[in-house]
Amino acid sequence: MWKTILRRILIMIPEIIILSILVFLLAKAMPGDPFTGSINPKADPAQLHHLMKINGLYDPWYQQYWNWVVHLFHGNLGNSYQYQEPVTRLIGGRAINTLWLALFTTILTYCIALPMGMYAAKHEGKLPDSIIRVYTYVTFCIPFFVILVIGVWIFGFVLGWFPTTGSISSTATPGIQSVGSRIYHILLPGILGALFGTVNVVQYLRSEVIDAKRSDYVRTARSKGVPEKDIYKHHIFRNSLLPIAAFAGYSITGLLNGSLFTETVFSYPGMGLLFINSISYRDYTVITALVLIYGILNLLGTLLSDIILSIVDPRIRIQ
Amino acid sequence: MVKTKNKLVVAAVTFLAVLTLAGCSNNSSSSSNAAVKFSTTYKNSDATDKTATKNGTLKLALVSNSPFQGITDPQLASNASDSMAFAPGNLNNLFKYDKNYKIISGGLADQKLDRSAKTATITIRKNGKWSNGSPVIAKDIEYAYEVLGNKDSTSSQYSSDFENIEGMAAYHKGTADTISGITMPDGENGKVAVIHFQKMSPSMQFVGNSYISQYIEPYEHIKNIPIAKLASSAPVRKNPIFTGAYKLDKVVEGESTSWSPNKFYYGKKAQIGHITINVVSLNNIDKALQSKKYDSVVPFPAASLGGTDYKNLKNVKGFTNVGEPSLGYSYFAFNLGHFDTKTGKNVEDPSKKMSNKSLRQAMMYALNVDQVSKKFGNGVKQRANTLIPPVFQKYYDKNAAGYALNIKKANKLLDDAGYKKRNGSKWRSDPQGKPLTIHFGAMSSNATTEATYQDYLQQWHKVGLNVKLVNGKPIETNSFYDTLQKPSQNTMDLWLGVWSLSSEPSQSQLYGETAPFNMGHFATAKNTQLINKMNDSSAWNDKSRTKTFKDWQEYMNSQAGVVGEQFSYAWQPVNNRVKGFNISPANDVDFYSNLTLTSSSMK
Repeated sequence: MWKTILRRILIMIPEIIILSILVFLLAKAMPGDPFTGSINPKADPAQLHHLMKINGLYDPWYQQYWNWVVHLFHGNLGNSYQYQEPVTRLIGGRAINTLWLALFTTILTYCIALPMGMYAAKHEGKLPDSIIRVYTYVTFCIPFFVILVIGVWIFGFVLGWFPTTGSISSTATPGIQSVGSRIYHILLPGILGALFGTVNVVQYLRSEVIDAKRSDYVRTARSKGVPEKDIYKHHIFRNSLLPIAAFAGYSITGLLNGSLFTETVFSYPGMGLLFINSISYRDYTVITALVLIYGILNLLGTLLSDIILSIVDPRIRIQ
Repeated sequence: MVKTKNKLVVAAVTFLAVLTLAGCSNNSSSSSNAAVKFSTTYKNSDATDKTATKNGTLKLALVSNSPFQGITDPQLASNASDSMAFAPGNLNNLFKYDKNYKIISGGLADQKLDRSAKTATITIRKNGKWSNGSPVIAKDIEYAYEVLGNKDSTSSQYSSDFENIEGMAAYHKGTADTISGITMPDGENGKVAVIHFQKMSPSMQFVGNSYISQYIEPYEHIKNIPIAKLASSAPVRKNPIFTGAYKLDKVVEGESTSWSPNKFYYGKKAQIGHITINVVSLNNIDKALQSKKYDSVVPFPAASLGGTDYKNLKNVKGFTNVGEPSLGYSYFAFNLGHFDTKTGKNVEDPSKKMSNKSLRQAMMYALNVDQVSKKFGNGVKQRANTLIPPVFQKYYDKNAAGYALNIKKANKLLDDAGYKKRNGSKWRSDPQGKPLTIHFGAMSSNATTEATYQDYLQQWHKVGLNVKLVNGKPIETNSFYDTLQKPSQNTMDLWLGVWSLSSEPSQSQLYGETAPFNMGHFATAKNTQLINKMNDSSAWNDKSRTKTFKDWQEYMNSQAGVVGEQFSYAWQPVNNRVKGFNISPANDVDFYSNLTLTSSSMK
């Protein structure tokens, strides 16, 4: 297996190189540049040209690409034009915020969705199943940003139970208070995200469990007199997790993607907002760094999913 | 607080704006739409509660859809959000000024202009200190110019106007290590800096002019950091010092700042125990204020709240609205020529589609900007009758007629100029009989603004002009300006742009003959003459300068090369527990130290 993993990683290298060239070219192909939008009556276009020049933005693309690659190997992703600080530091700060929120949301989603899926399947066709199915479809149908806006309105503004902006209180002191404040700030977006993000897991698990319930090995177990509880626990659950495990790798690496809607509504400085802002400001260094990171994470996600699959189901071996 | 580097990029409200819950409750749009009269001051008759003030926290919201960047140095920041996030530190403003932005004495430093010696002498007050207790020195003034003009500086605020300072050009090129035209008679640690100019300009009397920086740099605090790395350094981002009434306690990157009184402040001592500033998105700000999460928003002279917000917030209990005319305005500009890169001059090109003055005037008379402003501005927007916003009380020509709706006149102008409907076509053709299609460029924005584009198109169609949106839809901001800034373009025949003036409203860099931002290339001899006259020797006389500004406004209206669309109010609600809230420019320097609270909880 290790050999396979190594081989997969090696294949990633040309993939990443092609990705980086594509990203680099596409970013440059966008109309405008990092400085065009920032004109004002006092700014001098000559100074903007000067800034373009010292940042090497007038060089041919292959030269810019080469400079970028050389810096990359020195661990330097360049400076953000918009934020005027190193891209690594900028992304680092945002990634931590996003990770807090995404991790909380994902864990909560699974905690809610797995029991729900099992329960629905166990009571297939009965009232609890119908309720859960209606719930998942309704939550699936309502656009998430609507939920966020309504959620923040009711729980944040009307009831005042949760903070409505930012990732941490402006007055929290370092230590336990600041950790507490962080958790308090992700509660509302996290819970909303989890409650309204269950559909995939519930539906996959439900249909898998229903399939497994009718399969030969379950019938055999039953006829041997294995207690129903054990059948679900040892025979059905594990087998039904396969499709969910197949997504698990993506879920883990996808934690860093960030959610544009949540971040906008809650003014939560995360990766999603950073990505959109960097595109609208033509902040090339940030765009290329982010797309590259997302690309690598996606490739890793595939690999991770395969590895997780092989752990969940020993019959599957990646070769 | 005066911000001069407001981005042209108007916050393009994303699709989320449509979802603002705000509009739900109130569907009336016809009544109470007359222009609102705002006062710059909220006169609170309640007495200050000393304990509540001392122990209380004033909560301000910073209205923005994206995190602020965290650059405390106003000379390096490129975004208005930063100047708002760090406003209680006063952004190291040197001067105090009156309501017309004219520099007066009584600030951190006084300025004396000597026209015959061609110098500006800036004297720092004796008790001027930074928030870490160290004195403000002459080198702090000089270093501001080094930070701006250094060849490796990341600042986008350097302009060729600074090369009016002796030796600045050489320093900017990197051929000199110091700026020879800035001297410090009492040494670097003294209190006096003298700036030597090649020529003096009347605009130097006003804050925000393009020759004298209104800011200083904390030299001792940052001297060890290369200027190229200043914007990302800890002394600028993590532990900055200020000269204002409040000192920074904590900054949470991109989302909030908190402040407490600066005991070293030279002026009136700050009274409120704490101030916090939090970023709040445009979608949430109305609800946040209605549910009393904030006392107010950070004052901003180019307006952070719009007409829809006003509709939602005008009657909220416990709040009073204050406002002043905004520094920003929107305008229609016509494509009349090109920028000659060899001579560095804008040149009009008589063969351009829009070169006919009657056509331009007719297009403006066809629009009903008054009604659009009423319908969508809810009283905080009005038709712009000139190109100088009313905030410049002296220069603004309130009697200018501008272009109010007059379809009859529009039709007549077109008929007389030979733009007639020929061969049964529903569209007018040009005087030579060729079909005429006019391409209108507009930036993508929120749903309300985009609805107004459709109204404008309809109005033009009414007078028989075949006007179309470029590419059939609004253009993304960056592409919009990318197209317009090309020396020559034929994509847009006219466009709707937005920008904000500096607090010193000279027009040379916007509409001057050599201004690259004169994107319509309107460049007549008379225009050049009037713009130059705004800052020639006659303009030292206030009356004469005022007259020139009014003449220029009249001339621009008569030529219709660029026509104002809308003025707006920079307005904001203030909770009734706040006392001393006055957003007049004259109060900028003392704004935060004048604030007190009349109760510990919001009203």
